[in-house]
Order: sequence, then C-alpha cells, then structure tokens
Amino acid sequence: MGTSVQVTPLCGVYNENPLSYLVSVDGFNFLIDCGWNDLFDTSLLEALSRVASTIDAVLLSHPDTLHLGALPYAMKQLGLSAPVYATEPVHRLGLLTMYDQFLSRKQVSDFDLFTLDDIDNAFQNVIRLTYSQNYHLPGKGEGIVIAPHVAGHMLGGSIWRITKDGEDVIYAVDYNHRKERHLNGTVLQSFVRPAVLITDAYHALYTNQTARQQRDKEFLDTISKHLEVGGNVLLPVDTAGRVLELLLILEQHWSQRGFSFPIYFLTYVSSSTIDYVKSFLEWMSDSISKSFETSRDNAFLLRHVTLLINKTDLDNAPPGPKVVLASMGSLEAGFARDIFVEWANDPRNLVLFTETGQFGTLARMLQSAPPPKFVKVTMSKRVPLAGEELIAYEEEQNRLKREEALRASLVKEEETKASHGSDDNSSEPMVIDTKTTRDVVGSHGPAYKDILIDGFVPPSSSVAPMFPFFDNACEWDEFGEVINPDDYVIKDEDMDRGAMHTGGDVDGRLDEATASLMLDTRPSKVISNELIVTVSCSLVKMDYEGRSDGRSIKSMIAHVSPLKLVLVHAIAEATEHLKQHCLNNICPHVYAPQIEETVDVTSDLCAYKVQLSEKLMSNVIFKKLGDSEVAWVDSEVGKTESDMRSLQPMAGAASPHKPVLVGDLKIADFKQFLSSKGVQVEFAGGGALRCGEYVTLRKVGPTGQKGGASGPQQILIEGPLCEDYYKIRDYLYSQFYLL
Amino acid sequence: MASSSTSLKRREQPTTRDGDQLIVTPLGAGSEVGRSCVYMSFRGKNILFDCGIHPAYSGMAALPYFDEIDPSTIDVLLITHFHIDHAASLPYFLEKTTFNGRVFMTHATKAIYKLLLTDYVKVSKVSVEDMLFDEQDINKSMDKIEVIDFHQTVEVNGIKFWCYTAGHVLGAAMFMVDIAGVRILYTGDYSREEDRHLRAAELPQFSPDICIIESTSGVQLHQSRHIREKRFTDVIHSTVAQGGRVLIPAFALGRAQELLLILDEYWANHPDLENIPIYYASPLAKKCMAVYQTYILSMNDRIRNQFANSNPFVFKHISPLNSIDEFSDVGPCVVMATPGGLQSGLSRQLFDRWCSDKKNACIIPGYMVEGTLAKTIINEPKEVTLMNGLTAPLNMQVHYISFSAHADYAQTSTFLKELMPPNIILVHGEANEMMRLKQKLFTEFPDGNTRIMTPKNCESVEMYFNSEKLAKTIGRLAEKTPDVGDSVSGILVKKGFTYQIMAPDELHVFSQLSTATVTQRITIPFAGAFGVIKHRLEKIFESVESSTDEESGLPALKVHERVTVKQESEKHISLQWSSDPISDMVSDSTVALVLNISREVPKIVVEEEDAVKSEEENGKKVEKVIYALLVSLFGDVKLGENGKLVIRVDGNVAQLDKESGEVESEHSGLKERIRVAFERIRSAVKPIPLSAS
Repeated sequence: MGTSVQVTPLCGVYNENPLSYLVSVDGFNFLIDCGWNDLFDTSLLEALSRVASTIDAVLLSHPDTLHLGALPYAMKQLGLSAPVYATEPVHRLGLLTMYDQFLSRKQVSDFDLFTLDDIDNAFQNVIRLTYSQNYHLPGKGEGIVIAPHVAGHMLGGSIWRITKDGEDVIYAVDYNHRKERHLNGTVLQSFVRPAVLITDAYHALYTNQTARQQRDKEFLDTISKHLEVGGNVLLPVDTAGRVLELLLILEQHWSQRGFSFPIYFLTYVSSSTIDYVKSFLEWMSDSISKSFETSRDNAFLLRHVTLLINKTDLDNAPPGPKVVLASMGSLEAGFARDIFVEWANDPRNLVLFTETGQFGTLARMLQSAPPPKFVKVTMSKRVPLAGEELIAYEEEQNRLKREEALRASLVKEEETKASHGSDDNSSEPMVIDTKTTRDVVGSHGPAYKDILIDGFVPPSSSVAPMFPFFDNACEWDEFGEVINPDDYVIKDEDMDRGAMHTGGDVDGRLDEATASLMLDTRPSKVISNELIVTVSCSLVKMDYEGRSDGRSIKSMIAHVSPLKLVLVHAIAEATEHLKQHCLNNICPHVYAPQIEETVDVTSDLCAYKVQLSEKLMSNVIFKKLGDSEVAWVDSEVGKTESDMRSLQPMAGAASPHKPVLVGDLKIADFKQFLSSKGVQVEFAGGGALRCGEYVTLRKVGPTGQKGGASGPQQILIEGPLCEDYYKIRDYLYSQFYLL
Repeated sequence: MASSSTSLKRREQPTTRDGDQLIVTPLGAGSEVGRSCVYMSFRGKNILFDCGIHPAYSGMAALPYFDEIDPSTIDVLLITHFHIDHAASLPYFLEKTTFNGRVFMTHATKAIYKLLLTDYVKVSKVSVEDMLFDEQDINKSMDKIEVIDFHQTVEVNGIKFWCYTAGHVLGAAMFMVDIAGVRILYTGDYSREEDRHLRAAELPQFSPDICIIESTSGVQLHQSRHIREKRFTDVIHSTVAQGGRVLIPAFALGRAQELLLILDEYWANHPDLENIPIYYASPLAKKCMAVYQTYILSMNDRIRNQFANSNPFVFKHISPLNSIDEFSDVGPCVVMATPGGLQSGLSRQLFDRWCSDKKNACIIPGYMVEGTLAKTIINEPKEVTLMNGLTAPLNMQVHYISFSAHADYAQTSTFLKELMPPNIILVHGEANEMMRLKQKLFTEFPDGNTRIMTPKNCESVEMYFNSEKLAKTIGRLAEKTPDVGDSVSGILVKKGFTYQIMAPDELHVFSQLSTATVTQRITIPFAGAFGVIKHRLEKIFESVESSTDEESGLPALKVHERVTVKQESEKHISLQWSSDPISDMVSDSTVALVLNISREVPKIVVEEEDAVKSEEENGKKVEKVIYALLVSLFGDVKLGENGKLVIRVDGNVAQLDKESGEVESEHSGLKERIRVAFERIRSAVKPIPLSAS
C-alpha cells in the first residue's frame, strides 16, 4: 500500500482565518503554516494547542502574519518545539513582520502574548532551504524528503513538496501563476499527478482579474490624480510581503515620470526590510537578477522612496502631497491606523487598499460597499506616566517589590532553616535571585533584612554572617606551580575580536527605534479614547494580492490533476464551488475537511518494485512520446541474487494482449496536420472535424479536460467506403503509437 | 586520442559488458593547473565541468582540448566559479562551437563572470585574429547561462545535479551529478577552512561514486589562518611604522576581498594606524563590490552577523586608486594592486619605484604562476630587471603569505576520508605535486578499494557501473505481488531514468500520457439481401452472431466478436468496429466480401491455380530477403558449405542454419543475437508457417 497520509486542519477552513494544517505522513506530523490574524485572537489557536506537542516539523510558506504569525506564541506557550523549515526570505522577512506586529501592538496595548525575545527564539532555529532543495529529514522522518518550490505570491514564498517512497504530497496555497515585477510565477504546474494536493479555494469565486498593464495604469492614475490636487495617499500594506511589489511599481513609475512627490515607506522595520531584500536577488524574478548581472542595478536600491521607522519623521517631513505606505494592512494597529485617522476627513486624500482586509478588521469594514460614512475607532496610545500617576506607580512598584522580597526572604529563611546544619551548600544562595537582590538594593527600609539574608548567608558552620569565601589556591607539584598550557596559547579569536563586539546581535538588526522601545522601561500606560472618524477621503481597492484567480486555479488544479485533493482556506461558498467543480471535472477524491476533522488521503495505490533484467530490456523497443518513452512488456518474474524480484523475458510465447493506442490527439492540431498533408479539412458543428468530402472525425465521451484525466479518449471516425477514408485513417493512426 | 574512439562507440549496446561504461576525460587541467575542463559521459548523457583558459598561453593554445569531443552532444555544462582558469573559455564554447546544451552557474558567479571577462578581453593584448571572443560574445553568452542556487536540485534530460558551497571564492560551488543513481562529485577549487567572509566547503551528505578533486596544494600543509593573518598584519604594521610602503600585488577578485577585510578590520582595531592610507587599485574590483555587497547571504555567519549592523564590504579605511598619476607617493602607505603576477600594470609600476628601498615591503598573497616576476622575487634575487630594461637592486623585503584558499593536504585527505569515494580522480595540479599526492593518498587508503587516478589531458578514465534498472509496478497490476514464474504484462513507461509498469487503462492515471480508442464506422452501398452477407461471413469466420439493433430494429451481425455489420437501409450497410490491427483486418475482409457479393464474380478459383508456382517463387524471395536483412544487421554474411550462412562479427564466427534457425558459435552473445534476429526476420517474412496447416 501507499504512504499513509492524513490531513487535519487546525485553523483556516470554510473561512478566511489564518492558515494552519496538520499533515501526517506515515506518522510523522508536519505542521504546515502557523498563522494568526492581526487581531491576535487566541481562540483561533485552540486546535493547535491540542496537538502542538506532537508536531515533528513545521513548514512555513509565506512571510506574513496569516502564515506564520502564531509561531512565537506557539513555541512559547503551546509547547511547540519542532524544527522549523522555511526559505531564507521567509525566515528573515517573517521575523521582521513579527517585530513590526509586536512593536505596533506594544504601542497601543499591553500586549503580552509574546515578546521580542520569544520572536527571536522562535526564529532562531529555522532551518533555511533554497528553492528545489531536496532536504532529507533526519531521525524520525527518515525517508521523507521535503522541498520548497516557487509560489510566486511573496518573496521566498513556497509551495511545499513532501515526498515519501516516490509519492508526493503537495501543499500549495496563495500561489500566483502570473509573473510579477519582483517575483517569478509559481512552478506548481510542473508537478504532475501527485498523490495528494492540499490547496486553497480562496480565490475560487474571484474571476475578473484585470490585465497587469491596465491594473498598473489605473493604480498609478488614481494615485497621481489625488496627488495632483494636493491630497495625500495612504496605502495600508503588510510589513514585508506584497509591499515590495508596490514599492517597485511606484519606484519605476516615479523614475519614468520624474515625479517629485515624496514616497514614504513607514514600518518599524522598513530600513532593515529593504536592506535584506536587497540581498535576496536570487529569489526574485529573472528580469531582476538579469538586470543585476548585466548592469549591477539592484532593483531595490530605491531612489524615490524614503524609508521611515517612526511617525515623527513623517510628521516632520515637508508638508505637501505625499504617498505613504504603512503597515498594518488591516488598519488594526501600526502606523497605518494613525495616519488613516488623521487623513480620513480630508476629501482630497486617498486610502488605497491593495488587498482584501482580514475579516473583522477596520480595513475590511472600509472596503464594504458602499463605504461607511463614519467609523468608530478606538485610538490607543502609550504615554509615559507623569505627576501623581508616576508617584502612584512607583509606590505600587515598591510595594510589589517589597512584598516579593518579603516572600522571598520567608522562603529563604525556611530554606536556610531546613538546610541549617545539614547541608554545606553555603555558596549557592549567592547565585539565586540576583534580580530580587538588585531590586531590593534600590529601595529602603524593610529590605535591610533581605540584604542580610540574600547577600550574606550565614554558613551553617559559622556563627556570624560572612561573605562566601573561595580559596583560590595555586596548584603545586614537585616542579613548582602547575602551568596550564591553555593560558599561553595564542587565542584564535584574537583576530576576530574586532568583529565579535559588533556582531553581537545574532538575530537580525533592530532599528534604533525598536531598540529604544525595547530598552525603554520608563513607566508608561496605554490610554484609549473612542473617536468617530468621518470618512470623507476616497477609498479605493485594487487587486495587488498576487494570487491566481478562480479560472487559473481551476486550470492549474486540472493540470496538476492530483489523485486526491484537499481544499482549505476559503469561505464556505468558494470551497463548495471548487469542490463541485473538481469532483465533476478533475478527480473523484476531493475533500474539504472541517477544523479538527481528520481526512485520510492515503493513496490506495498498490505498488511493488522489480528489477528489469538486461535480457528483457534488450528486447524492449521504446517509443518516444513527449518526454517519456513507452513500450509494452511481457515478462516473467524471476529472482535476482539479492533476492529481489526481477523481470525476465517470457520463456514461451506471450499471450496476445489487447492492442493499445497511446497518444493524446488534439482535434485542432490534427486539423493542422491534415491540411499540411493536403487534405481539405474544416470544423463541422458539434466539435466534429470534416476531412475531405465525406469523412468526419469527432471526439466522443467526456471532453474538455486535457491530459486525459477523465479517462481514455474516444475518437469516432466515420464515412463511406472510399479511398479518402483509408487515407485519413492512416493519418489518424500516425498520431498514435500502437502497443 | 583515447576519447575520440569512445564517442564512436557510444551507440553500441552495452549488453555484452558487465555494467555501463562511465568515461571521465580531462580536456584541460589534467596534470596541470589552468584551463579546467573535464568531460564526463555515462549512459548517453554527456556533461562538461568548467570551461577555463590557461593563463600562461594565449589564443587557441590557451583553450582546453575541445576538439576531443563533439560539443553538440553535451547536455549540461557546469561552471564552478568565476576564475579565468575555470570560466573564461565559456563565451568561446557557447558562441563558436556547436554546443547547444544548457549552462549553469551560481548567481554570484554569473554576476562577476561578465565583469571579469569583459576586463579580460580589454586587458589581454593579443591581435584581433588571436582573440577567442569579444565583448559581444560575452553579452550573448549571458543570455544562455542559467543560474542555480546552492542545494537546488535541477534535472535536465534525466541528469540530476545540485551544488554545495566550495569556499574558495564568492559563489564557488562543487557540483554533484546524479545519473541513474551513479553520483559524481566535481569539487572545482575548494577550501575546507572558513575564512573571514566565506564558508568552508560543505561535506556532501551523500557519498559519491566518483570524486573529481583538485590537487593544487598537493601534499603541502597550510599554516592556520590566524597565524597567516597575524604574519600578514605584523609585516604591514612594522613596515608602515618604520615609514615604509607595502605593496600587495593581488588578483582583482576573490582573495583580494578577503585581504581587504583583514586590513579594514585591523585598521579599525588599531587607531594609531588611522592616518596611514590603504589604497586598492582595481577599477574592476570596485565594480564588483556591488556584487559582494549583494550576495552577502551566501557568505558565512560571521559576515552575516556583521551585516546585521552594517555592510562589512563598505570599507572605512580603504580608498580606491585609479592610476599611478593620481597617487601622491608621500610617506608610508599600503597599496593593493593588480595584476597579481607583477607582469605589468600598476603593481609593476609601484614595484619598480619601491624595490630598491629596504624600508619597503612586498607581500605575495597567493599562488604564483610559473614565469612571472612575482614567482622570481620569492627566491629573493639580488637584482631585478625593471620594465624599462634597467636592472635595480632588490632591497625591499619580500614575503610570501598564501591566502589562496585551496584545500591543503590535511583538508583533502579528511574530506576524502569522510566521503570514502571508491574512485578518486585528481585534476588541477602540477604533475609532480599530483603524483606525490597520489602516493600519499594511497597510504591513507590502504585497503585497495579506492582507485586513485591522475589522467593527463585527453586521457580517458573508464569505469563500469552496474546500473540496475528498477521499475515500479503500480496500480491494478500490483494488486497482487507476483511469485516467481508468474507473468507480468503491461505498459513500461520510462521517464528520465525511472521506469514504471502499469496496466494500459491506467496509463492516464499514473502518467501524463493517455490512451485512446478509435471507433470506425463506414457505410458501404449494398442492395442485396442481408441474409447473403450472413451466409458468406459464416463461411469465412468462426463466429458470426446475429442480433437486432435495439434502436432501429434492423438486423445486425457481430463478426469475430469485433466488427458489427448493420443494415442501415435498403441500399446501405454499415460496419462499425474499434480500431486494432486484427479488427481492421476482419473489417477489411468483410468489406471485400461485401463488395464481392455486389459484383458477384467468383474469382477465387482462378487464383488458386497459381498457388503452387507462386509458393516456389516465394521461397526464393524469402531467402533473398533473409540474406539481405542479415547483411544489413551483421555486415559480413557468406553462404558457407552445407547451405549454412557464415556470419563474422568482430572476429567471431557463427554459423546459421537457414532451415532450422539453429546457430553455432563460440561467442554466446553473438549467438544469441543472431538467433533473435533470425527469428524476427523469419516471423516477418513468413508470417504464417505454411507447414503447420
């Protein structure tokens, strides 16, 4: 039997919630994607929390919140500890996205689901792969090979292929078959007949995608129209995903037109983002890498875009019309939300959405038709404490410290009491609780006792408290002091020292603002006030999502034509629509499981391996068909020395088999072929081809599907007895191989 | 000319050998350094590794021996890194030969390749006729070069390959090629030591069957990097501290960047040196800086961590120097200048100016090609000849501190020990060094299972690999696993080097191919009674079933369970069947029969009279045909005594009895081949054995 494969959605089926799926291949559990939404709703992670500890490997597909947002939280709180696999850009840009999310959140709320350290820890052990790298999993996953392939949606975005025993499980969500400025189109179509395809139906109902040129023109026209009347343009964007495409479009347009309107890219991590993106050229489209190879022009050396990492810089920018790209795209947090509130009431301004907002967010609300006239927005801000509040806070802090210290001291006292006289571990307390000690030193009064207890520990052997004392005696032997040769070795690190102190921050660079925010431990609080924002600015939505539309999705799936298909991540209607379509046209095994519903997509394929003996092969005559070769074999099973089954030529005569015609006839191609042979040929009604005067040829049975996924083709040729008939029949036969 | 004969042999069937032949032929860099180019052929797939130029020669003489191979048969050309001796004949090979395969190199290599070769064309002072290619050829070649990322697996015509980091220079790769399960590793130039900016060469996770490995350093052992760096910086520091000037002649790209990193860092850590300028005189390197600044992520962790703060390739203490005219030679300074061999150019100008002052120093930082001034001064002669022909005393200190990033003996032997390849082919090394390395490696692998070869240019190494062809039987055919003696019949589909056996009706399920059925329907005018047809058909065919058509209620006949004959109207009958050779034949004879009824001319009797005569004629004809076919297959076929045919192939003799088909020969392979051929011929020319009936 084939490899056992089960798929269990943990989040993101029958709706647009973040993506997170459990795929188990022969008992090895993959968590594919680990997404969260911009609202950080912990209820979405319930299913994940139940299985987190059983997961053996995590695969990430795209560097945005919906695909990897929950990783830090899951690692910290849910007991997820499996190795994570991602491409280099997904790792880097994902990390920056999470930084941006955290910093945006921290500014407006007492965000405590995860910290920057948690983000660092989660991303620290990501194993980075390149596209088409076949990575053989170690240990428990022995025999499983994983490989990311180009998805075309975001920089580094991947389709994952999991292979075991020659059977492929393909996970492809949010792919884009269209080539963009900075990305190549997906390579999904190069996979043919995988055992399982897990894909999304997100865009299944979305069809009227405009041509790229026209869309770009509209996009730029809309922007310049608003700039020219003195308005500002806000593009709420993601941190490091689709925004790159927008930046390139604007950059190119600005240099062509010589516009002087400033463009600002404002996220907490914008400068790092662009710095990293500049070194990811090999992950981008052919045209970008080509232009670099020939002229060393890095497309992301942005001349017209100013990178900002805090809002004051924007406020200090010269007044006048400008374009601002700011995160978050959902308008739920981040600079985009602040700017929106500031600019919304000016009718000259434009808020241009480039993708559908996440469900239940401000962006989604504004995208509804007709757009709301007013929106109620809760604006929150972090302000340093001042005056009475600060005093109250400090008192509170002191009180807390005191309590803690007291508690610690009581515990300590008990401990010392317990250990008194029995243990001689007098040096240990020095190490314990340095934090409490430091806290306490700063305060006064009752902490005195703590100092005594914490710093000076009365050793059981001594009467009075004393500092712990270590006798650092030299070792002597008969030749004198023992010399440790290590002390005299030229340290290898010597030359590297210069680099060492600069290279301390292992996990990516933090902008100063980030650093300051992180280090800023000044007491502060979050104040919120509700505002009614009048939305008088223009609201426009354009599709820069970079996903294939419904039609392409269908033809893509038909081309891949998996043996079994699992649909995820789309609203119920879209899922149902695509499911029906695929059931009717593509394959009989389509599944759309509910959350936590496990579907078994183990292929019911039987297979065994045999050796082909040289004797047999020398008698086989292959016929070439496309990129494969076919032949008919009649053989007898024998054994090789290594006790493997081998196929030998038949000893006796083979029983005759039913002849098979192999080939894929396309009526249109055949028509061309016939006319090249001088046969008069034309299409008659009903898909029939009239060849010569009398003979007609047509395909019967289910048509319309290419690749013959629906079964063998049925071709009907009919006509009266005449010379033409046999001639055309010969031409028809020439299109096939008879085996 | 060993390999030219092999290219002719390619079409021969490998049935008589145990295993398939794999050939490795160095076209360059065989027992020499320079013009790396190694040809490899296995199971009809041909691969070329590297395409370099010999720096010491010019014109056609510098090329690898391309005339040993047929460039049009090469499927894939893989370039390991951008150095002249590994990549510079690529424009020539792409543009001036019949090569039409695919070329791969890494991103960084491709970016630098263009700059480097454009510079090479400009700098090389040869006459126009001697020019192997011009700038236009380079630009054209850029379109044909495809890029491959480290570890990315690419498949071309069933050849799978991927590359590993090789150390050496930015973008340098080692290629692993997998053809039908046989793996070949080509290291190119590699270094197993991590340095300031590059990662050490990776250890491939699979052991190759053949390892084609460089041997530049032979049996030498390098000093540790830190000691070399310390010597380097100490010499510079003491020289400039005494007011001297330091000249570092270096090749523009690759190792020079490493030296710049060392200097920049050293200056940053020694504020007392801040006022002493460092110049880097290479416009080419300046251009390439953008590449180094971009592909920072393919370097080591150290650089990546530094990159997190600021780009380490944005040097703070090093300024560019375009020509000697711009250079105000006052006080101590450090100048890194090209070319590395001190043949001419800026490095030579500065050398001439500084060589007689003993305060000054010259540091030779890498491998020096035989015959250059740099090689000469390492031996510290008393006097040197200047460019203007005068001689001058050589007073400046000369230091040789190698940073050339080739694996030394320790690295090579540990690398090979970890990989344990059964076949090792040494290339890219001086003949003597190579022999020493070979001897020493033999002592390291004493078990005798490892073959170490050092082919010279154009000398082929032949190996045989038992390539088991494994097929996977899938689908319906595999429902029951067969026992010995059971028969398996189905369609064998070969794609690349994988085989699958499946039932014909599942072809569309498991492959991209599809099957078809062609239904044919012809109408024949026939005015007679339908019963007549039935009667006649029953006389000829074993099975004729009559029925009535369900729709029209008209009578119908099923002939031989294949062809349906139906009466369409008073004047027409129709024949319908599904195409296959037998049905076609049945239908043809049915058609003939129907037409004969219409004509009502019983001619069959007349034909029978000639039967005996024609049989005799046929017999002669058949003999002729058999003879002609045998000649076309085996060449030398003669009619021997006792009516047997004598066939000679490659000195082996076989005798064939035309009547019984028996073959006598001492060579079993030939015997078998003749037997099969004769059987096939006989079944073709005498489809129905008349004697049997």
